[in-house]
Parts: sequence; C-alpha cells; structure tokens
Amino acid sequence: MDTTAGKSKDKRVEAAISHWAPRFVANGVPLTDFQEVTAGCDRWEDWCAAWSARAAIHEALGEQALKDGFKLSAGEHYTRAALCYHFGKFLFVNDLEQMKQAHRKAVECRNKALPLLDPPGERVAIPYEGKHLYGILRKPRGAAKPPVVVMCMGLDSTKEEMDDYEKRFLKRGLATLAFDGPGQGEAEYDFAICPEYEKPAKAVIDFVETRTDLDSGRVGIWGVSFGGYYAPRAAAFDKRIKACVALSGPYQRSASFEGRPVMNVEAFRVRSKSASLEEAGKVALRVSLKGIAKNITCPIYIVAGTKDRLTPADAAKELAAEVSGPCVLSIVEGGNHVVNNLWYCYRDQTADWMAAQLGAPKR
Amino acid sequence: MPDARVQSAIAHWAPRFVSNGVPLTDFEEVTAGVERWEDWCRAWCARAAVHEELGRRSLADGYRLSAGEHLTRAAVCYHFSKFVFVIDYEQMKAAHRKAVECRNLALPLLDPPGERVAIPYEGKQLYGNLRKPRGVAKPPVLVMCMGLDSTKEEMDVNEGVFLARGIATLTFDGPGQGEGEYDFAIRGDYEVAINAVLDYVGSRGDLDATRTGLWGVSLGGYYAPRAAAFEKRVKACIVLSGPFEWVEYFDKLPELTRNTFQVRSRSRTPGEARSRAATLTLKSVAKNITCPLFIVAGKQDGIVPWEEGERLAAAASGPVVRCFLEDGNHVANNRVYRYRSQSADWMARQLSVTPV
Repeated sequence: MDTTAGKSKDKRVEAAISHWAPRFVANGVPLTDFQEVTAGCDRWEDWCAAWSARAAIHEALGEQALKDGFKLSAGEHYTRAALCYHFGKFLFVNDLEQMKQAHRKAVECRNKALPLLDPPGERVAIPYEGKHLYGILRKPRGAAKPPVVVMCMGLDSTKEEMDDYEKRFLKRGLATLAFDGPGQGEAEYDFAICPEYEKPAKAVIDFVETRTDLDSGRVGIWGVSFGGYYAPRAAAFDKRIKACVALSGPYQRSASFEGRPVMNVEAFRVRSKSASLEEAGKVALRVSLKGIAKNITCPIYIVAGTKDRLTPADAAKELAAEVSGPCVLSIVEGGNHVVNNLWYCYRDQTADWMAAQLGAPKR
Repeated sequence: MPDARVQSAIAHWAPRFVSNGVPLTDFEEVTAGVERWEDWCRAWCARAAVHEELGRRSLADGYRLSAGEHLTRAAVCYHFSKFVFVIDYEQMKAAHRKAVECRNLALPLLDPPGERVAIPYEGKQLYGNLRKPRGVAKPPVLVMCMGLDSTKEEMDVNEGVFLARGIATLTFDGPGQGEGEYDFAIRGDYEVAINAVLDYVGSRGDLDATRTGLWGVSLGGYYAPRAAAFEKRVKACIVLSGPFEWVEYFDKLPELTRNTFQVRSRSRTPGEARSRAATLTLKSVAKNITCPLFIVAGKQDGIVPWEEGERLAAAASGPVVRCFLEDGNHVANNRVYRYRSQSADWMARQLSVTPV
C-alpha cells in the first residue's frame, strides 16, 4: 500500500504509517479510513485533527442510527468513532490540549456505545489511591457468574481500543474488564506511569471481589505491549490471578531511549510525568521482571514477534525462562510488535487458552 | 514490476478483500509476492493453506469456535485465489474445491452455525449455505445472490450483519456462479433460479417463507431486482452496485472481468459474450418491481457506473431508498460503514423484525 507516493512527509507520519497499519485495521479502523487519513496528513502536527475529523463521521452515523432506533448499528458506529478519536491522540503528547479534547471524545463515544453493544458494557469506577481508575466491564450472555479477564493497556493503548479483543473472550464465556491504569487513558492525568503495576492491579482485583456477578475465584490477567509487562508483573505479586497472557511486553528496560521512535519516547516521558529524558530513564529502569518473574506461579502464555522493532522477542524468552509455573511461549515468525500483522496466530489461540485456564467449557 | 492484471487486481480489490475477511497483511504480502497473473492462484492458495492448517489444529484441540474462524478465513483466501482465475481451469477448480471444503468444515462450528443445503434446479442442484439466528423460532430469511466472481464462501461478514438482526441467511451459488458454474451458464433470466430457491424456502418448516427478502452484490445487484420483478414472494430487495443494462458498458469493463464473463456465460468468442451480456437487462421489467428497494451505488465505481442505480430507482414502481455514495467505489467496499448496517436495519424493518 503506497500512500506516500509523490509527497514528502514528515518522518513521524512516515513512521506512524509504517508501524501501525496492521494494528489500526486489526483493531477495527476501516482500511480505507487508514489509507485516506494518513495520505492526507503530511505533518505530524495535523495527525490528531485529521483522525478526529474522520471519527466525527462515524460519530454522526452513530447518532443517526440511534435516532432511528437501530441500537446495534449505533453501538458499532460509536465504537468505530471512539477508535478513530483514540488513534488521533494515542501518541499526540506534543499538544496536550488537542490530545485531551480528542480523548474526551473517544471516551464519550465508547461510553455511548456501551449499553448498545452485544453483550453490553458497563462503565465502572475502581477506587485507587483516594481517586478512581475507570474501566469497562462486559459479561458474556447467559452466564450467571462468569470468570473475568482483567485487561491491561500499554503505553499508548486505552480501554477504548479493546472491542476486538474483548469480543474474543466474551464469545468464549469470559467477562472482560479493560481498564485505564496509572499513566494510561483516563488515568494519565491523575497518575504517572507506575512500573510497580501490582498496586493498581490489586485495586482492580479488590474491585472484582466486590462484584457478586463475577467469579472472583477465576480471575485472569491480560496485557498488551507495555501491558505485556504490567500483567506478568502483577501476576508475580497477586496470587488471586489464575492465568496470564502477555503480548510483546518488555522484561527489563534500560535507562536509554536510543533507537526508539521519538513519539514513543515522548509519550513515555510525558506519561511518566518526567521533566527530562534523564528522569524518564530512571522510571524506565524500574520496569523490571528480573528476579521478580520467578514468583509467577500461575500459567502464562507469552506472545512475541520475531520482527518486533519496539520490544525484541528476546524479552519474551527471558520472561519464559524465569517463570515458575507452566508456560506457553509463542514466538511468531514474521510477527511485528504485538503481532498485529499476524493476529490470527495468537488472538483466538490465547482466548481459547485463557478460557481453558479459567475453567470455561470449550467452545 | 508486476504485470498489468496483477496491478489492476491490487488497485481494485484491497477494500473488498479486507472488508470480507482477508487479513490486511495477507493482502499486502501475497500481492507483493506476485509478479505475474499466472502466479496469483498459487500464491493465495499457499496463504489459504496457512489458515486451513490453523483451523484443523484448533479443531483437533477441540476449539470449535476458533476452528470455524480459521477455516472461514482459509475459504475466503482460496476463494480469492480463483475468483477471476479463468485462465487455468484445472487450477481454478482445485482451489474452488478447497474453498468449498473449508467453508463446509467451518459451517457447523460457526456461531450461529450454518447448514449446507441442496436446492433442486433443472434436474440437478444448486448449493447454498443456510444460517439461522439464535433463539428465533421461525425467522424471516434473506436470499443472497452472488455476482460474477463472488460465491457463497465469501459471505461470512455479510451474513453476520443480518444474523445479528434476527434474519436467517441463505447464500447460494446460482447458474454461472461458484458450484453452479460447472453445470449451468450465466443466465439473464435469473428469476428462474430464484423461483427454485423460493420453492425450496417454502419447503422448510423452520423458516418464515412469507417474510423473504432478496439481496444481491455486484452482478447479483442485477440478479436480485430482476427476480423481484417477477417473483411476488419477495418482500424487499437490497441492490449493491448492480447493472441495469449490462451490455451498454460491457466493452469498457476490465479485461479480467470480461474474460470471466465470457467463460462463465459459456461463450466461445468475445462477440458471443457480448450478445449474452445483452440478455442481462432490467429495461423492460424494472417497472414490475413493486416491493421496496434499497439501492447502493458508489459514485467512484469504475466497473458499474453509479447511474445504473438511478435508472433502476427511476424505473421501479415501489418505494426506493437511494443510498448513492459520493466517495464509494464498486460495491462501496471502501465505505462499508455507510451501507452494511443501514441496509440490514432497513431489511429487518421490511421483514417486520423488532429492531435491535
């Protein structure tokens, strides 16, 4: 797909296009939206506005469908709108006001979608350090007290991006609780990135225990990208976690950001509330499973891609080598970061595996 | 530099492939690896085999839902390997067999499941896939008509849209289409095939035959309204980028499309194909369409001019929704969110299904 022919584009836009087409599309952005919006965007500074404009189209379609009484369609349009707003701002830390505004719209659209989805979702507030973390809880149809998968976001993903992943668990009889933790989504304003992610995960599982409609004896945890570090980190500390899926997460970060895409570095700096790269480097150093992963005794399913340019597959091998419980290590040949280009090599497989770990009947 | 037919394929079809279930990276990698049109079928079959293997492994492990999805993906890739690959009949047939085999394996594993049905037709049979929405005793049914190169194995995503709204789907390969192309040539009087399908629907105790809708994509967007003009059992009809008078721009069609029409209409020469094309016409019959129509056309359609939709809208006698999309391509596959759910919601209303 050559969307850059004949134009000179800003390097950050070029990097965005080359890194993210498979992720955007696999998570629900229509292909033509990706092609047209990125083709029409020459400077990174225009990225957020361009995606927000496209998101507004989906939002209007959602409003129309709702007005006509077509709830299912409305839920899908609003979810698509939320996704496009989300990708408008997911790394747009260069303009926090624009980022915030697009973020508000992403949350608003997904919230509008929640009661319209099949199965519907519920916005939940999880007490945390005197404030709240926000999450989306969805339960499979027809299950009285289902097991639940707690879903951990990464550096730039948020709960509004998770519809495709949620559905795969829901279809297999598992409830999903996708939440924005410290430094993520709605929580990034109150809380900095917290490498000791066992703290927010504990708050979330405490919350799960207060819900009589979930089986808190069967809690799994799942994490994507940076969340592929958070999830096993939490599993090492919290024995209420019965199984863990880790997608392309780091094992031990260094203090250096060399060789990483500039927008990711900035996102890490801003979301860790660091004034400088040096300060951010100190936070990065705390991102570690070394000597900690050995405390992971629950079964773990680790996914990595051999062509990952953000987190080398070696991180997955190190994690696999250190855990104490049963481990499935799936290193996908040709897979990029989070293996979004070959999603059919792990999305259903991990969902089936998780369902089996949490005692849901095979489907 | 890939040959012109490969370039044309890439330029025309990315949105269709992806919106009908081909993973984006599959499309990019497979098309990037094909230099000559002659290699197209083989390259897609190789990719399909990857999905088939994943499906068979899931099935062996007892994961039926995953197996159904992998095998459906395999069927879609096998299908696209041969959908216009009329230059090598043996290769086309072998890939076609695999497409049907994979989708058949998937059918009982889907949610909701599908059932392969045989529809008596002219002393032989047409084959279809019937799926019924969960939890509905005697659902209304949508009969789905394929086009020149689409077959029932490509329809999973489109079926899902209607099933989610409480409508059963019966996707079938008619004359000149999919499994129907070996025994039967393309015919302009498609009402004959639809008559057989509706008789079959009437024979099923588990479908509400009094609430039957029709849907057609591309050339099927001609077949469906053509049948609706004759068949009063049809209560509503969705038309996606169908021709009104096929022969008028037949000579301007892409080479692959014209060749495919020639083979599937069993014409020996381009001239004969052109005469056959002339039998695909709504000109004198569209006025007999009295059921409601939902007509989708893309104003950027490079295959069937969007004005064909307007000609149909103007000629039909019943109520018409014109969904003409400024920026839509053929079948508006680049703008599916502007018509897929909308036309399904509309159909549900026509067939008196409670809105969802």
